Amino acid sequence: MKKQWPVRALSRALSSSTSSSTTTMTTTNTASFPLKHVTKSNFESALSSLSDHVRAADFVAIDLEMTGVTSAPWRDSFEFDRFDVRYLKVKDSAEKFAVVQFGVCPFRWDPLKLSFVAHPHNFFIYPRQELPFDGPANEFLCQTTSLDFLAKYQFDFNACIHEGVSYLSREQEVEALKRANLIYEDGLSDSLKEARDMQVVNVVDFLFSERMKNRLSEWRGGLLQERNGGFEFQGSSNDSEQQFRTVFFKMRPAVSLNGFSSHQLRLIQLVVKKHFKDLAYLHVSGENSSQQFIVYVDSESDKKLLMREVKDQQCKHEELKIKAAVGFRHVIDLLSSEKKLIVGHNCFLDIAHIYSKFLGPLPSTGEEFASSVNNYFPSIIDTKVLLNSNNVLQQLMKKSSTSLSSAFSVLCPQIVLGSKSSYLPLQSRVKVEVEVDDMRSSSWNSGVKHEAGYDAFMTGCIFAQACSHLGIDFKLHLPSENLAHNEKLKKHINRLYLSWTNGDIINLSTGNRTSESFGSNNHKMRYTKICFEHIVLIWGFQSKIKARAIKECISKVLGLSSVTSVYHVDESAVFVHFSKAGLVSKFLALKESLERTNDPISVLHPLAKLLEGGNTRAASYETYKEICSSPISKVLFADQAEAFGIKWKTKLVESNVEANTQESKILHEGNSMNSESDSAQESNNRKINKVTNDSSYDQLSRNEIVDSFYTSHNAEQIRTSNF
Amino acid sequence: MVPLLQRRLFCNKSFHQNHHQWPIKQVTKSNFDDSLSEIKQRISTSDFVAVFLQNTGSSSSPWQRVSAFDTPDTAYSKAKSAAERFQTLQFAVCPFTLQASKLTAYPYNFHLFPRDEHKLGMPSYSFTCQTSSLTSMAREGFDFNACIYDGISYLSRAQEYAAKFRIGIPMPVDHKTKSSSPTTTVADTVFVERIRTRVRHWKNVCTDISTTKLEDAFVRSLRTIVLGSEKYGSRPSITIDVCSERQVQLVLEMLEQSDNLVPLLVPAKSGGIQSVRAVLTSSQEDKNLLKMELQNLEVDQTKRVRGFREVIDLISASQKPVVSYNSLNDFTFIHSKFITPLPPTVDEFTNSLHLAFPVVLDVNHLVKNIVPVKKTTNISATMLYLKNRFIAPIDMEIPHEDVVNVGNNHGHNVVKICHLFGKLCSVLKITPSAIQSGNHHLASSALQGYENVFQLCPNIPQESTDEEDIRIWTNNTRKVSCQDVVFLWGFKKGTTAGMLKSLLQGSHEVFTEEFDLRLVDRSCAIVVFWQPGSSQTFLDVMNGKDFSGKLMEMVSEGVRASGYEAYKRVCSSGLWESELADSLDKALASSECNSESDSESKPSEIYWCSELMINLDDL
Repeated sequence: MKKQWPVRALSRALSSSTSSSTTTMTTTNTASFPLKHVTKSNFESALSSLSDHVRAADFVAIDLEMTGVTSAPWRDSFEFDRFDVRYLKVKDSAEKFAVVQFGVCPFRWDPLKLSFVAHPHNFFIYPRQELPFDGPANEFLCQTTSLDFLAKYQFDFNACIHEGVSYLSREQEVEALKRANLIYEDGLSDSLKEARDMQVVNVVDFLFSERMKNRLSEWRGGLLQERNGGFEFQGSSNDSEQQFRTVFFKMRPAVSLNGFSSHQLRLIQLVVKKHFKDLAYLHVSGENSSQQFIVYVDSESDKKLLMREVKDQQCKHEELKIKAAVGFRHVIDLLSSEKKLIVGHNCFLDIAHIYSKFLGPLPSTGEEFASSVNNYFPSIIDTKVLLNSNNVLQQLMKKSSTSLSSAFSVLCPQIVLGSKSSYLPLQSRVKVEVEVDDMRSSSWNSGVKHEAGYDAFMTGCIFAQACSHLGIDFKLHLPSENLAHNEKLKKHINRLYLSWTNGDIINLSTGNRTSESFGSNNHKMRYTKICFEHIVLIWGFQSKIKARAIKECISKVLGLSSVTSVYHVDESAVFVHFSKAGLVSKFLALKESLERTNDPISVLHPLAKLLEGGNTRAASYETYKEICSSPISKVLFADQAEAFGIKWKTKLVESNVEANTQESKILHEGNSMNSESDSAQESNNRKINKVTNDSSYDQLSRNEIVDSFYTSHNAEQIRTSNF
Repeated sequence: MVPLLQRRLFCNKSFHQNHHQWPIKQVTKSNFDDSLSEIKQRISTSDFVAVFLQNTGSSSSPWQRVSAFDTPDTAYSKAKSAAERFQTLQFAVCPFTLQASKLTAYPYNFHLFPRDEHKLGMPSYSFTCQTSSLTSMAREGFDFNACIYDGISYLSRAQEYAAKFRIGIPMPVDHKTKSSSPTTTVADTVFVERIRTRVRHWKNVCTDISTTKLEDAFVRSLRTIVLGSEKYGSRPSITIDVCSERQVQLVLEMLEQSDNLVPLLVPAKSGGIQSVRAVLTSSQEDKNLLKMELQNLEVDQTKRVRGFREVIDLISASQKPVVSYNSLNDFTFIHSKFITPLPPTVDEFTNSLHLAFPVVLDVNHLVKNIVPVKKTTNISATMLYLKNRFIAPIDMEIPHEDVVNVGNNHGHNVVKICHLFGKLCSVLKITPSAIQSGNHHLASSALQGYENVFQLCPNIPQESTDEEDIRIWTNNTRKVSCQDVVFLWGFKKGTTAGMLKSLLQGSHEVFTEEFDLRLVDRSCAIVVFWQPGSSQTFLDVMNGKDFSGKLMEMVSEGVRASGYEAYKRVCSSGLWESELADSLDKALASSECNSESDSESKPSEIYWCSELMINLDDL
């Protein structure tokens, strides 16, 4: 599985200046050259050429590949996710999983050729610890199915782990610099700290110290003699001369110590300190080794000067090392500082990853996150939102799915099939030329799907085509004009799907969230109001009890119309949606009292079936949010709640919650759980299913238990993030 | 950080020494079936089986490594947490025989990946990777693609049981489950009679060839619907729905009476039996043929489901002594990945493990009988030490014929373990037969019963009455009661042990007595009082309100202290924060709300050994 990265230093130098005339480039028509893969070895050069491309670009498309999406089945995206809970789930995902591939593809409009020029870059990144302390991440989670998915698309794990570019977030960099400075404030370096406790008790040590003392005084004597009148210091002739080499250190005569053990070095240090006022012991750490010197100093002030010099040098060296460890974040900083329009496809999770990996820890609420991201990337556009919120585009997409590859093939058939065949009117076709190093092609299509670089390229193509359909004429577009400020795009800017499942959109400029109105969408979408105050979370019941049984159980006690729906979080937990908020407190109080009394009559109570086993717990929706915010991730929700430290059985709520009823319209897209089938399989299927739109939706009556799920027809659309 | 760089450099140089000469059979999905039958034979003729696991990580942060100040309980908690979170990517197995100084080994290296092959969310939903572990594996040339693309999957015993129901494949009747109960109720009789008539009717139709020939297709299909007749392969079958274990029993008994019916149990997805399927055979030979078919089907099925676990089952079934270098770590992984989820306590773990692997030999532990602790940091270092001290030549032979060395020769550690074990046996004068019969004084003390617990904790010297052991250990280790140990945290970051010790010395009169102090990690120190009772005095002062002078100053800066029980609670309730100080804070916070429910008075002792402490350079 080793891929060959073409290394063409010369041609890269040529292509690095975007103004270089195209005549020098090999322009082919049907080209199949790989996109630009970037690893440790070619990162520096790739970064410098990328900066030029980004600076010249009209927009930059991005895409990420991660080691997983959900850390537990119950953390998956549900329609029963409130705005804040959804953010917590995304936050959890971004914090736990690693990004292994980062696709960056700058697009520049070439007014001469009347086409876009794209530069797809595929970065392999890996959170390697380049610094001895706190690296990017000590550990990360892998979701087995996600790795399997990546493997299916020939992801090169070796390239990633062996050769991936490392990184530090801004916060980590600041922390590392602080720490480095702290070390040099205290002393010059750790080994310059006093070896005070050590006492020479050992005879061997004593003899060694004495010998060293003689050696040093001899050397010093020779040195002074030389000053007074030409003493030739003995050239190295024997073994000990190798250990004891005279050199110059910072314009001062010095002895470089080689081949001593650390214990011996410590003894030497002690000797120097004790017996020689005009000698200084120095420990200098270099590129990948360290050196010990004994330096002759003229005076106490000279000694201080020397120490200062060494300290500055070491500090600078340390800073350089930290700068080097910043690695891939330079690319992110570049995107941020150039304030270019960032284009992604269903990219909220991607942005969250970028934030947590390259900025700092994610804020605890979605609102804070939005404002913080907005400072860093002022304009982001989500092509999935774009495709779903504009009528022209929706008509164009007809019924097809807005998954990345499907949108690409619908909107950009000229790129998919080669330039000749196309059913789109000629004038609305946006030409895209691809340039990789010295290769250039107007019909390039040799990317691998789900390779971040190629996905970014597809996203960019979709965006360019969509812009053209929105009536943006690139021919009239001036290079100085910022695409982000275009009137026609304005209302789509910074609107990202917080959750595709229930169409929640977050506006990063304001922090507000809106629900999408699937205006002209053809699907028979059913709207159900979910009132989170009407929801009770029940878990820890016996696994054989299914949603239907739970509904029956509760209906017997609280009335036939009391339960609107029962929704499996996983096999160990359900949400019960009541028809009235009052029923929530009623149910919880009833459960509590049943458990408290525990007499023979309570065994015959209809609810007894649900309470069987004695581990059934219930609480309001708020508890679900609390548990979601916990960093722990157990596979089963019941285990998670236990690990979270929940010891009570029932958490009662006040009954007057009607006042501030927060309602949310959600779609019953049939994305709910099949109560009959087991949840593990369920979550698997759901991953496949949530990407397809051409599925049959069950006609469910409002009061029915939602227990349908649809099957996938297109396995290729399995997509972990950019579905 | 400079020594760290040096050490890395040194590792690089010293790593690729001579293990490339050992042919180790690399096993992936493609050659697993062949290798399985081969290794089965090798295990059956071997004296020992050595194992070595390559995992995606070992501990999330330095203090979570098993160390000298751990009791068996806390050590197990730490190992358990690691085994549950990390994943095994390579499992090297090496059956070997040892005769005098001749060691014949057959090393195999299995590449594993917990692929969800049956879409059941098993064997593992997700796993954690330690960045540094993967980096060092990469440095050794680990092929991650081979592992993820072609790794062998597996299911544990517990998972296989669950999977059987989820996959829903009809199972032949296991004869053990058939136990007839004497009491028969009226309902039972009615039920049996109903089924009997139905089956008889269906059988008659099936066997009556004349009718089937004459009828047209429509009538035939109607009849099939009415009778509920189905096809099982080429044979007709009927499905009888059952709703209890009792009914399953009755149906089976009833079907038993007929000689050409073979019953099959159809499992329900939620567990239990959903229905019984009766397959009609034409003759006794046909019946035997069907039974054979079913058996083969089941073997194939289980083989597919078990995957790599077959190898574990082979080792377990052979009852051969298993040799490992770090047995607590290795066997918590093996138990959780291939047997069942790890039990909460160390005693349950050892009991459960003992059933699967009666004899476990920890090389690291054996080494400690003859080598000073500081020389045994890793396999190579131990080897070097033994080589220099003892003349115990071991003649290694690896008679793999069909293994071509193609550069990526992983799993050499398992061969090193074999080699080391051979040397140790010769130095310690242990003969394989003695270990197997268990009558050698050393072998028996190391292998039997409860003492496995201690043997399983690599850094904890074995609780032994053997005079010799104690003498060795007193060189650098002192036994400390947990009651004399205090954890101290909340001091300024960057404080060294020396600084902290001198700070404490002037702070309270309790520190005028002899005491020792080491840093556990950057945030927390462990203090050992050599004067019994001093620790309690100190804790009382810390918990009280009247501080004086320096101690007051320290406390106001946020220094906190707690006895060993807080640490125990950290481990038992899984408060694995990245810094021990945070974990201890959490443990104290949680203990305040539920006061001292666990007042177990297990006398526990740990061993104070300076060399075993975490080296701060490693952090």
